[in-house]
Order: sequence, then structure tokens, then C-alpha cells
Amino acid sequence: MAQDPLCLLCVEPRFPGRLGAVADWLVRTRGYRCWFYCNGVGPRDHWPPSTGRGLEVVRFEVGGVARERSVPWTRSLERGLCYAYGAWEVLEARRPGPIDVVLGRSHGLGSTLFVPAFAPRAPIVNLFDYYYLPRSYDLADDLAHRLPPDYVRWRQSANAMDLLDLENGVLPWTTSEWQRGLFPPEYRDDFFVQHDGVDLRRFRGEPRRAGSRSRAIAGRSVPEGALVVSFIAPEPDRLRGFDRFLSLSNRLIRERADVICVVLGGGPVRRGLDVEHFGADFGTLALRDDPPADPARLWMLGAVSPETVAELLRTTDLHVYPSRPFVPSRSLFEAMAAGAPVLAWDAEPVREVLDDGRTGRITPADDPERAALLALDLLADADTRQAIGEGAAAVSRERFDRDRCLSRLAGLLDDLAKRSYSPAIGGR
Amino acid sequence: MHVLFLHRAFPSQFGHLAVELSERFGWRCSFLAEEMGSCPPPSPKLLEQVDLHRLPPGPDLGRGVTHWMRAHEVAVELCRRQADYLRGRPDLRPDLIVGHCGLGPVLFLDVEIDCPTISYCEYYHQPRMGDLTYRVDLPPVELSPFYPRSINATTLLGLVACDSGYSATESQRRSFPSRFLPKIEVHFDGIDTDLYRPRPRGPMTIAGRSIPEDARVISYVSRGLESMRGFDLFLQLARRLMRHRPDVLAVVAGSEWSYYAWDRLHVGRPSFRDWALERSPVDPSRILFLGQVEPEVIARLLSRSDLHVYPTVPFVPSWSLFNAMACGAVVLGSDVEAVREVIEPDTSGLVAPLFDLDAQFDLARRVLDDPAAFSPIGRAARERIEQRYSLDVCIPRLRDYFERVASEGARPG
Repeated sequence: MAQDPLCLLCVEPRFPGRLGAVADWLVRTRGYRCWFYCNGVGPRDHWPPSTGRGLEVVRFEVGGVARERSVPWTRSLERGLCYAYGAWEVLEARRPGPIDVVLGRSHGLGSTLFVPAFAPRAPIVNLFDYYYLPRSYDLADDLAHRLPPDYVRWRQSANAMDLLDLENGVLPWTTSEWQRGLFPPEYRDDFFVQHDGVDLRRFRGEPRRAGSRSRAIAGRSVPEGALVVSFIAPEPDRLRGFDRFLSLSNRLIRERADVICVVLGGGPVRRGLDVEHFGADFGTLALRDDPPADPARLWMLGAVSPETVAELLRTTDLHVYPSRPFVPSRSLFEAMAAGAPVLAWDAEPVREVLDDGRTGRITPADDPERAALLALDLLADADTRQAIGEGAAAVSRERFDRDRCLSRLAGLLDDLAKRSYSPAIGGR
Repeated sequence: MHVLFLHRAFPSQFGHLAVELSERFGWRCSFLAEEMGSCPPPSPKLLEQVDLHRLPPGPDLGRGVTHWMRAHEVAVELCRRQADYLRGRPDLRPDLIVGHCGLGPVLFLDVEIDCPTISYCEYYHQPRMGDLTYRVDLPPVELSPFYPRSINATTLLGLVACDSGYSATESQRRSFPSRFLPKIEVHFDGIDTDLYRPRPRGPMTIAGRSIPEDARVISYVSRGLESMRGFDLFLQLARRLMRHRPDVLAVVAGSEWSYYAWDRLHVGRPSFRDWALERSPVDPSRILFLGQVEPEVIARLLSRSDLHVYPTVPFVPSWSLFNAMACGAVVLGSDVEAVREVIEPDTSGLVAPLFDLDAQFDLARRVLDDPAAFSPIGRAARERIEQRYSLDVCIPRLRDYFERVASEGARPG
């Protein structure tokens, strides 16, 4: 029987990760009580407000192969099982309860897999990011002619944990139709598709007026009259198209003396998807291959706080989203929420979000010249930028407002928690 | 038609199928395996008829018992080596590939070969209160909450990757998640009803020991004498029957190894057989352990059996169940779906709840006290196998199925 308020168990490899904001919203607006089980914890300035005030963070350790920085691809599942086991160990030791509903994000690490061993009657909702296709999307399209056989095999095998999670949970959740369509047809109809939304309040500010107001980003003053072109990614990597951005930024800097390009994010490539650069600092490598046309006008600000992200997006004149086809980034939605005009590289997941010409501009993925011309046109046309930015902000309010998005999720969670859930029992 | 069978061991369950397809229909059957199996061992005829390919030795992933977290790695590694082998053998290009879904599925092959693939869907483990975790009467095992929840990973990948799947029985098919059932057909692979047949009763010798003509023989046959197949429960029943009738002789075929479950962890010692015997001591002169024996010996035993006991947990129905019925034996099985699908209770066999020794004893006693009264059940069992599960019935159906999938071609990747 569900308690009042609802008790939520969140499990994700890192806090706040992606579920931190969701849990925070549920705690603050719905009065949930939440235990957030994680292995790693991000910097405090990324923690949501309810942390420690209804949202309790509990860390679990991982053992075995999960302690290693990287493992042979054939041991990917084992790594995930170590995480799942670590979460279970701490659950069993601390015995939080009662748990009405479980929200997990496996991210390939399957953290909720063994939760039913502790709480067999708690329904599990898992957030799924990405199902790897052997030779399509993300970087596979670019690497088509030099995909090592083992890389293709890893891509198939890497789905093992997601498949286990799909069977282990009662409701799979993903944030876009494109992501849902990647999963095997046998699972697609089960999915709840709902973006987790953007906190629009973070991006409210004075109306944009092209390049005239005084602005500062992370303490650096933007010269009056300058046009800011932005790129944001946790790590400026190839998957998110930092190489594309660099090429574009050099062109823009050469063509216009008033352009400043700002890059947020830093650190080595953490996604195994980029088999050629995993563990390397792709940003540095890309800058070596394509040196900045004017280093003074390419601001590499590294990893920053969410506030600085918001600060940049509130002031940018053009946000560039040159990602390879992959899960749409949080920064894309935040840029739209901030009313920034977005120039994105064409891909199915982008087309699901942006309406070319109305809420953003979409450029063919294989035509850098076209991208440069579009960007230059936009930079030259404040009215169009304004109109597109306002269109994006309107869509953001309609489709990606966190209050709206998570209300739907909360309705489902409430409903699941009220139902008498009986796990499958074998031995039929 | 050229079929390539993939399995860790040769011949496994595909060996006899390859022979039948080759003998009956002239198909070319190739087999790619890592090791030569011993249960059953390949016959000379099999070796002659099948185009056998052996994988070169792979990396040492820790021989013997695999840690549960590494089971998937072992399977994926096998798939990787299979794919590498086929990449290096462009001459080996079949019309159809058939592989075991859980042990080494048909993964990674689409890169190498453009032909349809079929997964043999033997079983999908239940997360709780099923197969591996059904024996709640045994001391608990620490990994029981975890292993059943992770062991299906390879199977799921194989299900997604294949063009079609088949299970041998409906109960096996229904063990899989319902979302995959439309992809899985039921095709039993056939019992050799010439080998497994009723035989005239008379004095006989098995494994050097003569079986008196008037002895009441209760038989138990399993690849391993283990908990999932209820070996300890069989002993409890045998003990009571021996007390009830002085002429009862138990004959047991199977190795001491536990193939499926965690008997070593349940009982804290290597031999589940010895543990079970200590708990249910049986007069050694009245129980005969044959070990693993040739099919011919099994066939003679089952045709002589007055009562074949099959106390399995819900799991894949054993060959021995079908073989015993084909031999006309009266089978007393556990009352689980897998058994009920094969046996029509009280018509072609008997069933009793797995943990209800009294009910089992009552049925068994009645059979042994008056075998003639139950002989119609044995005849009905034989008839059922002939009509539904014999090679003559099943192999043409499998041929049709294989041909259909091959003709439809591989799904676009």
C-alpha cells in the first residue's frame, strides 16, 4: 500500500546525473521523499536545491571490474552487474523503506537490476538513453568504412544491460520518439516517451537585443557590439561535433571581426563510443589539427557551473549544435528555453526538436560551407535571430517546460505506486 | 540446402538433427563448435555425415565453473570467435544458420554472412520462484537473487538478433517474455522411436548387474544427479517404496555433476548425490548407479522400468521423459507445466506435486502393486510419442520450418 508522501528510490551511477533534477522536482512540488543511490557524486554547485531536504543521497561502492578505468568490451555487462550489485548491497544494509516506486537510469550500468531482490513489490521505471545499432548513428555513420569488427560487436553487446533492464522494469521511459525507435520493435510500444524538461526559470532574463548590451560570461566581459557564438558539451568531443564547431568558428572569426566563440565543457572523452579517442582530450587534439584563427576570440572556458551555462545561453547570439546523431543534449533544450537561435546539424533527433526556419536552423550534416553560410546569414540578421529564438522559446514553453513534462511523469508514478504490483513468478 | 549449426559443444542437441536432415533430405549440414561433447558423445556415423568445424583454442576465461557475472562474457567471446572463424572461411557460406540462443547466440554473424539466422530458444530463466530458484526447500544460495536476473542477457541479445526462433515445446516457448512469443515457433526435434521402444520383458543385465525378472524396477535418468531434476526427491520416494515392497530395485543413470543449479553451494560439498544419499539412505544392494551410459543402455533400462520417476522443477523437459514414454514406461512426473504438456495426467502418465511425497508415494505404490492395471498408461505414452514427438513426425516439420525461414531471407539489419 502506498504511503503518503510517496517514497521514491532513485538509482543512477552518478548524482545528480539526469535523474537528480527529476527527483528534486518530485520532492519540491509533489512532496515525495527520495533516496538517491549513486556511486559517484558531482560537484556541489550541480546539486539540486532539495538535496539534503527530502532528497537524500546515498553512495554505494562498486567492486571487481567496475573499479577499472576500462575493460575489454566483452566484459561490459560484468561491469554493469558490479554497479547493480553495489546498489543492492547498500540497499540491503540500510534497508530504506517503504519504497513505493523506483526510478532508475541504467546508462548501461543497470543499477536497478537487483532492486527487486530487496523490494520485490516496488514497480521500477527506468529511463533509457540509447540503444546501439551496430553500424548506424552517433559516430558509426562517420566511421562506416573503418569500423573495426570488434567495435561493431561491442555495439551489439553493449545493449545487454538495457535489455535486462527492459525486462526487469514495469515501465520503460525515454525522452524522444527517435530514442524509442532505436529499441527493438518488441519493446517500442511499451515506452513512455516524455522529455524530462527544462527549468525555464533559470533562463528568464532581459529580452535579447543583438550585440548591444554589456555582457559578461564567467566573469569575462564581452566587448560591446560583439556577437557571441556558443558551443556546450560536457566534454568537447567528436560525438557532439566539437570538430565541426571548430571549423565553423574559424570561418566565422575570419569573416567577421565582431564574433566571439565560447566553448563550455572540458575533459577527456568518456564515452566508449569514440573508440579512436576514448580517454583522450579531443578538444586539445582538435585544436591542434585546426588551430584557432584568433585565439583571443575563441574562449575555451572548460567545465563550468549550471549558472554559467545559463548565463551564456541567455546572452549568446547563436548557439551551435553540431552533434552527430545521438541523444539530444540538454544544452540544446536549454538554448531553446533561453530563446537563443540554434543552428543544428541535420539528424533525425534534431528534426524531432527543431522546426527549420521557425524554431531553429538545420544545416546538412555533410556540407560545412552551407553551415557557414547559414551561420553568417543569421549573424547578419538580428531580426531573424530574434524571431527564431522567440519561436524556440515558445516551443520550449509548450513542450519542454519541466513543470509540464514532469507532471505527466508524476501522474504515472503516482498511478504505479497505487496499483498492487505483483512481480512475475516462475514455475508456471 | 546448407545449414550451419552453432553450439559450444558438438553434437549437443543439434547433432541428431543434422544427421536426420542429411539422411532424409540430402541436406548439407555443417557444425561449428568449440569442443567435443560427451553427453551424448558423437557417434562415428555423426562424424561421418556432418561437416564439422572446430574453433581454434580461445582465451582462457577461467576454465571450470564460471563466475556468474562472467557468464555473458564467455558467451560473447564464443560468438566473437565464431564470427572471426567465418570471416576467415569464405567457403563456408550456408543458406541458414541455427544457433543456441543462450549458450552462444547468433550474434555478430550478419557482418560476415548474409543469410537468415534461427535461434534455438531452449529456455528463459525466471527471476524468482522458478527453475534455478524453485528448490526453496534446500539451503539458500547467496547468488540466487542475482544470477537469474542476469543470466538471460545473452538470450535476449540472441532473440533480438535472430530472424526467427524455435523452442522444442510450448512450455519452453512460454518461458520467454510474451513480447517475443510471435517470433518463436514450437518444433520438437524428434525421438528415435526405433531405439526407444517397448521391449519384451525378461531377465536382463544392465552394467554387469542382472535384474531379476520379478523385480519392480523404478528408474531415474538425468544428465546429472542434481536438485533441479529432483534426484534427492527421487531417493526419498525410492526409500519409501523399498520399505513398502521388498522387490523394488532402483536404477539410476546420470553423472554426479550438477549441470544446471548450484548444488555445490546449496549443500556445501562437491557431490549432491552423496548429500542426498546421506539424507535418504538407501540399501546399496537395492540401488544401482550406472553413471552416464550409452543411449542403448538407457533404452533397455527404460523399457524394463516398471515406474520411471521424473521429479523435475519447472524447467526444460528432459529427453528422458520422452524416451521413457517412448519405451512404454509408466512415468510419474512432477505436476509442472513442462510435464503436463507432454503427459496427459492419468492417461499417458501420472503427475504429483513436486514436494508432496505422500501423493507421489501413493501413486507409485499403486503402479508397483499392480503394474498390469497401469499398462494402458504406458501404451498411451508410447502412442503419444509416436504421434507427436517421433522423428518421423518432427523432422519433416523442422525441415519445412528451416526452408521457410531460409527462403524469406535475412531481415534488413
